[in-house]
Amino acid sequence: MRILSITTSLSEDSTTLKLANKITAAATSAADDAGLSPETEHVNVRNLSSDLTDMALTGFRSENLEAAFATVAEADVIVTVAPVYKVAPVGLHTLFWQLIDEKALANKPVLIGSTGGTPRHSLAGETVLRPMLSYLKGIVVPTTVFAATDDWGSVEGGRSLGARISQASDELIGLAASLHGADVEATGEFGHPTQRTNPSSDDEFNPEFITPFAQLLEG
Amino acid sequence: MELGIFTIGDVTTDPTNGTTVSENQRIKNTVEIAKKAEEVGLDVFATGQHHNPPFVAPASPPVLLSNIAAQTENLHLSTATTLITTTDPVRIAEDYSYAQHLSDGRISLIMGRGNTGPVYPWFGKDIRSGIPLAVENYNLLYRLWREKNIDWEGKFRTPLGGFTVTPTPLDDVPPFVWHGSIRSPEIAEQAAYYGDGFFHNNIFWPMSHTARMIQLYRQRYEYYGHGAANQAIVGLGGQIFMRKNSQDAVSEFRPYFDNAPVYGHGPSLEDFSTQTPLTVGSPQQVIERTLSFREWAGDYQRQLFLIDHAGLPQKTVLEQLDLLGEEVVPVLRKEFAKNRPAEVPDAPTHESLVVRHREGRDPIPGGGEGSRAYADRQARAAEQNDTQGADR
Repeated sequence: MRILSITTSLSEDSTTLKLANKITAAATSAADDAGLSPETEHVNVRNLSSDLTDMALTGFRSENLEAAFATVAEADVIVTVAPVYKVAPVGLHTLFWQLIDEKALANKPVLIGSTGGTPRHSLAGETVLRPMLSYLKGIVVPTTVFAATDDWGSVEGGRSLGARISQASDELIGLAASLHGADVEATGEFGHPTQRTNPSSDDEFNPEFITPFAQLLEG
Repeated sequence: MELGIFTIGDVTTDPTNGTTVSENQRIKNTVEIAKKAEEVGLDVFATGQHHNPPFVAPASPPVLLSNIAAQTENLHLSTATTLITTTDPVRIAEDYSYAQHLSDGRISLIMGRGNTGPVYPWFGKDIRSGIPLAVENYNLLYRLWREKNIDWEGKFRTPLGGFTVTPTPLDDVPPFVWHGSIRSPEIAEQAAYYGDGFFHNNIFWPMSHTARMIQLYRQRYEYYGHGAANQAIVGLGGQIFMRKNSQDAVSEFRPYFDNAPVYGHGPSLEDFSTQTPLTVGSPQQVIERTLSFREWAGDYQRQLFLIDHAGLPQKTVLEQLDLLGEEVVPVLRKEFAKNRPAEVPDAPTHESLVVRHREGRDPIPGGGEGSRAYADRQARAAEQNDTQGADR
């Protein structure tokens, strides 16, 4: 099972990356327990910043961006983490999701994580990202994880953050397991190919999948 | 192989000196560019169709193309593109037929949908119906050029009763049609269905994407029985700027690139050159890049270059044409001919289409007997009969 974390980690020593790593580790161990042989991958949207603005301006998708979108298409579950600026996830992060193909997240469980300076930002993931990811047909798990400075600074905070992470990760992996449960039993492998509604642009140009012209003519 | 140029007719301020040519001047310049294209030995001049500033590409391309036809001998005249969505197919049939007669068959069309939303309602249409419009309108146009006394009814225009286009196409052979699209598989499918050509403008997208669209068109062309995949009729655009010395080309073109309509103020010239077919450099670099298109597109039939946009001065554009004619096109012609399989056809001309028509080899839309499409249809019909039999 491929666990993909997509973060917008703006600084070298970013708490966003730290939170993403914690969530990924928890999800990996939950997947191990469920016998789903997890593999992890990571995309930092920071590295795509120029590609994203270029695409917004010109519609042109660079090879880096195509590769990142393909990684999303191939992932089984997604962990997305971004810092909150002015009560919304940073624009660079939302731009990534705004430019990806429609239905890019179809059938994929998604976990939202955010970081911020104070707990006042804690609902930004819920109000901004959840509808966006649902629009992309992602199945967003009920628990979102928000980490403020307090959570990193105190023992108590750390403990409660850990509890939220493990709650959300269990939901994420539980959902993935039930979505693909039948396949795992049948094939011993996670993610039966026919189950993956792959929205990548490759499929659009596959002669097997296109709408025959006679059908277009009939309207 | 047809080699030529295509223009979008933009009136753009020259960013190096702040001057803007008048519409009148830009229109006259366009005619001069076309005449020069013939003079330096290019095969094709193609114009866009536009209804909105800052473009003066004609709203009715046959007006411009006929004017050029009157001043040239051999140059093939094409659109790039004709808006099949917002232009009445009856007027397309009539006007291009007329231009075909005036030009003795030197006219061809590339169909396009147009991506400017506000233009559609000006003609009573809606951009959200772009594909259905392209499908219905072209199907009507196809019939108008081949049948008389047509009775027709559709969704998007007034019904026709007993309509015959005048003039009928020259020698009963309609102008050759290409279907252009940047990213819609439906249009590649449409081109394949009719056995028409497929043109990709090849300017804004990575080559890997363009290659997939062309691959789809080729496979479906074969499926519909018009020929093998490598015999499908493929055209590509491209964008170049040349100087003898490649560094001069880069420094001279950069301000035009950085301020160009559509992609200006976005990617760097260097990134855009790596990721798209844009080539800014010496004639030799343009030759090498263009020849490399064959590696991912297969042997193809038409190559058009964009050379006159973004406010480039007319003098510079004419110099580009000199370089194309003297240094680039002769080499491309020679090199593209090398190792080209004998079965790969040349770009269609009026003469070749007349021969094809008289020999009864016109493509059958949707695939005639012997094609896989035909076999699939038969199998489906048989299946349906079986089911109906069982119901009884």
